[in-house]
Amino acid sequence: MRIWSSPTPYERVALFGGIYSNHLALAAALTDAADRGAEALFCLGDLGAFGPHPDKVFPLLEKTGAIVMQGNYDASLASGRDDCQCGYTDPRDNHFARLSYQYTFRNTSAANKAWLGTLPGALRFRVGRQFVHCCHGSPRLINEFLWESTTPDALLRRFLDQTAADVLCCTHTGITWERRLPDGRMAVNVGAIGRPENDGNTHVWYALLTAGREVGVEFIPVPYDHEALAAEKEGEGIPGEFVETIRTGWWTTCLESLPAKERARGRF
Amino acid sequence: MPPDTLPGDAAVQPIHPLRAPFSHLASLWIQVTGTWCNLTCTHCFNSSGPRDPWLRSLDGGTVLRAIREAEELGVKEIYFTGGEPFLHREMLPFLEAALAVAPATVLTNGTRIREATADRLAALAAASRYSLEVRVSIDDVDEAANDRIRGKGAFAKAMRAIRLLTQRGLLPIVSASEISMTGGSADPEQGMYARLRRMLIEHGVAKPRIKIIPVFRMGRLEPPGELPLLTPEMLEGFDRSTLMCSETRVVAQGGVYACPILAGLPGAKLSDGSLREALTPSPLYHHACVTCYETGMACKNF
Repeated sequence: MRIWSSPTPYERVALFGGIYSNHLALAAALTDAADRGAEALFCLGDLGAFGPHPDKVFPLLEKTGAIVMQGNYDASLASGRDDCQCGYTDPRDNHFARLSYQYTFRNTSAANKAWLGTLPGALRFRVGRQFVHCCHGSPRLINEFLWESTTPDALLRRFLDQTAADVLCCTHTGITWERRLPDGRMAVNVGAIGRPENDGNTHVWYALLTAGREVGVEFIPVPYDHEALAAEKEGEGIPGEFVETIRTGWWTTCLESLPAKERARGRF
Repeated sequence: MPPDTLPGDAAVQPIHPLRAPFSHLASLWIQVTGTWCNLTCTHCFNSSGPRDPWLRSLDGGTVLRAIREAEELGVKEIYFTGGEPFLHREMLPFLEAALAVAPATVLTNGTRIREATADRLAALAAASRYSLEVRVSIDDVDEAANDRIRGKGAFAKAMRAIRLLTQRGLLPIVSASEISMTGGSADPEQGMYARLRRMLIEHGVAKPRIKIIPVFRMGRLEPPGELPLLTPEMLEGFDRSTLMCSETRVVAQGGVYACPILAGLPGAKLSDGSLREALTPSPLYHHACVTCYETGMACKNF
C-alpha cells in the first residue's frame, strides 16, 4: 500500500470522506474549510456512489489542491470490478448497492477511473506535534466499518500502536464520532460529506483538526442546496430511496451494516 | 456423542496441507453452554440438546479469562453461543463483562427470554458504550413449519422474545437457516429476506434485522458416507482470507477452536486454552469448510 506523507506540520486541517458524488456539498465544505483557515484539505476516499454525475467532483478536488486517498469504491472503479466491495448480504441492500455502483461505473470517465487507481491507501502528517494517520475503513482493511459502538478501546490502541500515530482518522461508515483514550491518543471518524448521517437533518459533516497540546477536533455541519441535488438525482433516474435520504436526512438503504445502537437512532 | 467419534471428523490429519491464514482476531466466540440446549432442532449442526451434551458448559473463570485475553489481543467483537446460552446461570454477568470491553452478541433460541431477562438485557445495553446484539433463531415464518424443525412452541416463544426486546428498544437480529424457507428468488421482494421482513413488520418490529445462514450437513443432518472436502485445485486463486477462520477463534470446552461450526472437534482445535497460541493458520479439513467456501458463509452478524 502506498502511503502519502507530509514532512511539514500543519496548524489546522480539514478532513472529509464519502463524497458519494455530492458535488454541491463538496463545494460548500471546501469553501467553508478555507474560510475557517484550513491549510490543507484531506479526502479519505469514496468519491462516487449514490449521487449524480460522478465526474463533477474531480475538478473541485483538483482546483482546491485537496489530497485524496483511495476508498473501497475508488479501488473498485479503478480496477474495473463489478461490485463496490460493500459486502452486503441482504438482497435489498445488494440491489441498491448494485444500482448505485453500476450508475457510478457507467458515468465515471476512463481518465478519472485511472486517476483513482493512482491514489495512496493511507495519509500521514503532523498537526502540531501530533502524528495523524488516515485510513478509509481501518488501517488493516479498506472496507472495515469502525462504528462508534463497535470499536473497542483496545482495538484503537492496537491500531494507534501499529501506525505509530497519536490520532487515527477514518471514514467509510458515514457517521461522525471521536474518542479520546486515557493516554491522550484519539480516534476520529470524519463522517461523510456525501449524505446526511441518519439523524433527520439534511446537512452533512466534515472534521477540522487544530494543533494544540492535544489535537482539537471539531465536526462542522455543512448545509448545502440539498433540494438541487435531489432534483439532479431524479433527473438522472437514480432510485427514489437515495433521493429520499437527501431530502429527509434518514438512511433508507444499506442499513444492514448498522450496529444496534446506531440503527436505533435512525428512522428505518 | 463424544467429540472424537463425530462423523465428518475422521479425515483429520496431524498437519493438514490446506490451511487458512490467520490475519487478525476480529471476533472471539465463546461456546458458553457447549452443546447443552433446551431444544432439539432437527438440523442442529452440533447436535445440541437437553441430555448428555457432548460438549460441556464453560466455567466462569474460563469465560472471563477468554474475554481478558481477547481484549489484550485487540478483539473487535465477542459472541456467545451454545447450545442455548441463557441456560448458563452466569450468562448475564458474562455479557456485562464482555460489554465492558467490546461489542457483544448472544445467539439464542429466545425461549428463555421473559420480561425480567429482557429488562436486564436492556439495562446492559444502555450501560455500555458498545452495542449489544441479541440474535434470535427461527427457521420459518410459518409457525407450524418452524415448530416441525425447532420443536412445539418454539416459534411462539421466539416471537415473544423478539417482542419483549423490541419493546425495550433493543433491535434483535432474527437469524434463520435455509432449512425450511429457501431464498431462491431473484426478486428481492419475494425471497426469504422479504418474507421474514414482512412477518416481523406484521409482529410490530419496525426495524427488522435479518441474518440468513446456510445449512451445514453435519450434526443431525450428517448424511451417511463421506462428503467432499476442499482440494488444492478449488483453492487455487481463491482468497482464503475471506474465510471466517482467518479472523475468528472459539473458546469451548477443551480448548480454542478455528470456527464456531467446528468448535469441539479435535481437528479444529488450535490450542489447549491459550487464545494467543491459537492465532495460527487453521486446517481446512472438514466438509463444512466447503460450505463456507461455496456460500461465503460468515457466522458474524454482518
